[in-house]
Amino acid sequence: METFNLFLKAAFIENMVLAYFLGMCSYLAVSKTIKTAFGLGLAVIFVLGITMPINWVINEYLLSDTGVFGTDLTFLRFILFIAVIASMVQLVEMAIEKFSPALYNSLGIFLPLITVNCAILGGSLFMVSREYNFGDSVVFGLGSGFGWFLAIIAIAAIREKIRYSNVPPALRGLGMAFIITGLMGLAFMSLMGIDLTKPM
Amino acid sequence: MAETAVVEKEPLFGKKERKLLTDPLGDNNPITIQVLGICSALAVTTLFFKALVMSVAVVFVCAFANLFTSLLRNYIPKQVRMIVQLVIIATLVTIVELVLKALDYTVYKDLSVFIGLIITNCIVMGRLEAFALANKPWRSFLDGLGNGLGYGLILLIVAFLREIFGKGTLFAGSPAEIKIIGASIPSEGIIYKINTAAESGIGTWFSWYANNNLMVLPASAMFVIGVLIWIQRSWRKELVDIS
Amino acid sequence: MHSTRYIYTFTVAMTVVVALVLAGLFTFLKPIHKANEAIFNKKAVLSSFMGTKANDLSDEEVVTAFADVKQYVLNYEGKPLSNDEVKDLRNYKEKDGKAEDLDLSKEKKKDDEDRLFPLYIKEVEGKQVYITAVRGNGLWDEIWGYIALAEDLNTIVGTSFDHKAETPGLGAEIKDNPTFPNSFKGKQIFNSEGEFVSVLVKKGGADKSDKHAVDAISGATVTCDGVTNMLESGLQYYMPYFETLKKDQLGLNK
Repeated sequence: METFNLFLKAAFIENMVLAYFLGMCSYLAVSKTIKTAFGLGLAVIFVLGITMPINWVINEYLLSDTGVFGTDLTFLRFILFIAVIASMVQLVEMAIEKFSPALYNSLGIFLPLITVNCAILGGSLFMVSREYNFGDSVVFGLGSGFGWFLAIIAIAAIREKIRYSNVPPALRGLGMAFIITGLMGLAFMSLMGIDLTKPM
Repeated sequence: MAETAVVEKEPLFGKKERKLLTDPLGDNNPITIQVLGICSALAVTTLFFKALVMSVAVVFVCAFANLFTSLLRNYIPKQVRMIVQLVIIATLVTIVELVLKALDYTVYKDLSVFIGLIITNCIVMGRLEAFALANKPWRSFLDGLGNGLGYGLILLIVAFLREIFGKGTLFAGSPAEIKIIGASIPSEGIIYKINTAAESGIGTWFSWYANNNLMVLPASAMFVIGVLIWIQRSWRKELVDIS
Repeated sequence: MHSTRYIYTFTVAMTVVVALVLAGLFTFLKPIHKANEAIFNKKAVLSSFMGTKANDLSDEEVVTAFADVKQYVLNYEGKPLSNDEVKDLRNYKEKDGKAEDLDLSKEKKKDDEDRLFPLYIKEVEGKQVYITAVRGNGLWDEIWGYIALAEDLNTIVGTSFDHKAETPGLGAEIKDNPTFPNSFKGKQIFNSEGEFVSVLVKKGGADKSDKHAVDAISGATVTCDGVTNMLESGLQYYMPYFETLKKDQLGLNK
């Protein structure tokens, strides 16, 4: 039950995009149509789900002063985390290309983008500062990935609709996307503070 | 930097170079046009001083990452290109973090996570891919500098608006803190939100003004940037997004 | 195209260079980082009774102001421990085992019986001020603070709060808005019968004459409830020590 709560919390209450405003660049750049948003969203869930536990192991057994080397190596944290993320993205790319060329063709171009998605590195950094255990880190990774997926689908759907609305020309596209995201963020604030451990 | 440059065969600071520096400030701004590096722009713009420190950090990382990548561009194996670039960026960011921690611990505490997230600031990565890998060091350096400054410019504008209207102050969190608008001394019993960020301030205007707490919330940064884009594109019609 | 061997050599060389540069810088700056951290923590303690004025102090002034502060580490039974005992208990190698050396975030995660609590005593204008540390949970993450009590161990002289990740403009106001910590001044943690009642952060505003409640920050209910809980549980830990202290005071007066 606790694991499920963590999943819900990561996906809705502490949504990476709408509560923390992380992973904005690709969120805004790739949300013009639902189809592409869907592909990128899936890839993000996948990468977050894999990198989080790997980075957990690295942080716990290599970098901390109780790890293999016995000294405080936390100043290498950024480099190792981002290297893991970059290589995982590359691995995922190769694997998908080999086993499912069709999926690769629809996803392919978005995969490299994920490396520089702040939500991925942000997730790993949150994991460190909140001191999750191994199981939690997997769930948190999947949950926040799912939340990111939901957010990008939502804005893509709105942007598809709003194309037919009478928006001032200068505000069309990007400008409107910013304002919509702001409004969505305000709406998500109402979820803040919900404590899942307590009965309603 | 430009003033000390010595003129060589290729002018060190000719028209092209100047364009590299000024383009990202306006027509090719990384935030409002290229849509890069938004995440950090939102979180650090509640206070002007925070945004200033962040801008300096990004300018530094962006300029030097471009410089080093350009210097190494003929030696970097294509297959591991991404990872090498990220390692360069991550190293520079770690340096910034360590130095900031030594210089101003309070600001470091406030910014810590977001300094780390400069690594995934797409501006840096984007410029390395698009420019530094194919250009000479000096020009790459200028390009990095320009894009960093373009990012910083938007950051400072947003932070300026958010701090003034959200808190009524400027430079809060630094020794130069001043109170700009709103009542100068919070009278007792007034709800907390009204004008309390700076109790000791020099003269203030619009003492009837009550701070707008919306401006302090992260979502307001989205609105401010959205409106900035609106203004910029109404002014320069050719930038309008047709799709 | 480069050969596989070249790629490996390049990667290894790069890693070594980067690691050496960073390790060098890290070791070089470590003493400064530590000093900064110590000053930062001292400032937080001082600002509990000095308020925002503590932020204007220079590093040297902080050290001087802290020089005559007496530091105690209390265990769960309220017994003060010596520095060496603390060092043994917590396996500190580089730290001294003084109150300011405790890692309060780690202490909070321990079982109640194993926890250690810092207590600072400072003489301000000829009177003792007892500064206790409290720690709890806000909306997103941890919140913590220092509560300065007057000589009667009842009246609050001042407080300072900090947080890890509360929402700017809402929960973060416990730190950013000096009115909030200031509103605790003069409140009392014991009622007239001498029972411990703590101070309540009251949603919708507290009655001015209420000695045991302050106004909440609107829009930050969870953080404010967090402060209420933190004060209640946090100050409770100091009660055993206060009991003995009060007995001593009575003894002295007789």
